[in-house]
Amino acid sequence: MSSTRPSLRDLARAWIVVSTQSVGGGPSTLFLMRREIVNRRGWVSTRQFLEDYALAKMSLGINLVALAGLVGLRTAGLAGVLVSVAVLLVPAAAITVMLTAGYVLVRDEPFVRAALTGIAPAAAGMTAGMGFTFIQQSVRRGWPALLDWGFASATFAAGLALGATPVVVIAVGIAVGGLLLRGQSSRASGDPAS
Amino acid sequence: MTDVVALFWIFLKAAALSIGGQGALPLLRQDLVATGILTEHQVLEALAIGRVTPGPTGLFVVSLGYFAAGWLGAAIATLAASLPPLSMVALAGVIRRQLLTAWAAGVVRGVVLATSGLVIATSITLLAPDRAVLAVPFWQVLVALAAAAVFVHGKTHPGLVLVAGAILGVLLGR
Repeated sequence: MSSTRPSLRDLARAWIVVSTQSVGGGPSTLFLMRREIVNRRGWVSTRQFLEDYALAKMSLGINLVALAGLVGLRTAGLAGVLVSVAVLLVPAAAITVMLTAGYVLVRDEPFVRAALTGIAPAAAGMTAGMGFTFIQQSVRRGWPALLDWGFASATFAAGLALGATPVVVIAVGIAVGGLLLRGQSSRASGDPAS
Repeated sequence: MTDVVALFWIFLKAAALSIGGQGALPLLRQDLVATGILTEHQVLEALAIGRVTPGPTGLFVVSLGYFAAGWLGAAIATLAASLPPLSMVALAGVIRRQLLTAWAAGVVRGVVLATSGLVIATSITLLAPDRAVLAVPFWQVLVALAAAAVFVHGKTHPGLVLVAGAILGVLLGR
């Protein structure tokens, strides 16, 4: 592990690789983060990276943006936070918006409209799959897993059958979590980016 | 043109009340679709685009912003998504050890389980507005189930799943 403090330009170079090459979402982005920051450049140790990842998983909003900020803080202070978050987000967002703008130009073509009738359920299915995966990763070991799955099922039913307001369900989640759902996740101690 | 301040608030609220990029989906659907700013189909389009673009999960909000208010909307969504995670950086600088306690883990677990249940429910609602699941063509239900299973299995690139869906759409969806 090198204790070298990177320049902001070097930090930006590392994040732009992550921002532009991590197609496929969270796991791919996390893998590239670790490769660029820990393995290739040695700016933080594996232990430090995993501790920051544990904190980032608790963050509001996009977890990996928080992880970029925490790594930036550790390696280059406040300026490192701003550079890391900006360079992780802006290039990826620019690509996203250009793709969206291009899509808008062609989405009324009959061929594209037909394709969308298959893409829409695939996107919905993958989103549901991601929700299921998050539950899998959050439940505890042993019998408490039943409580965790039961609570997730209840929020699913509240959302689908009752049309419950998300803010209310999240508030219930905070209360129930603080009172009943304490402890380590079944996968919390695992290495997420190996 | 959608009020940009209101739009910024919608995206900021969604990011600030959720954990994980996809966790914002139920809140965004409620605030963007129920208010008529976007349609359910546009939300699905944004989710699909977000699956094939680089960067962290959660950048579908950029597409939502673009659909709502063009380039300015996309910029607003990006800015709003960047702010709540910074609060963790600030908190970690002050109470890092306290954040790694079992109680804090429980609170986070409660929010993640609550939003994940809502995300699954929202996915169904996006595909079947008004919960009219029986009105969805059977082949689309099969595509959604297969996509969910493939995603959970985790070995196939999301882009390939969308391409398969597109091919089936061209073959069956006309």
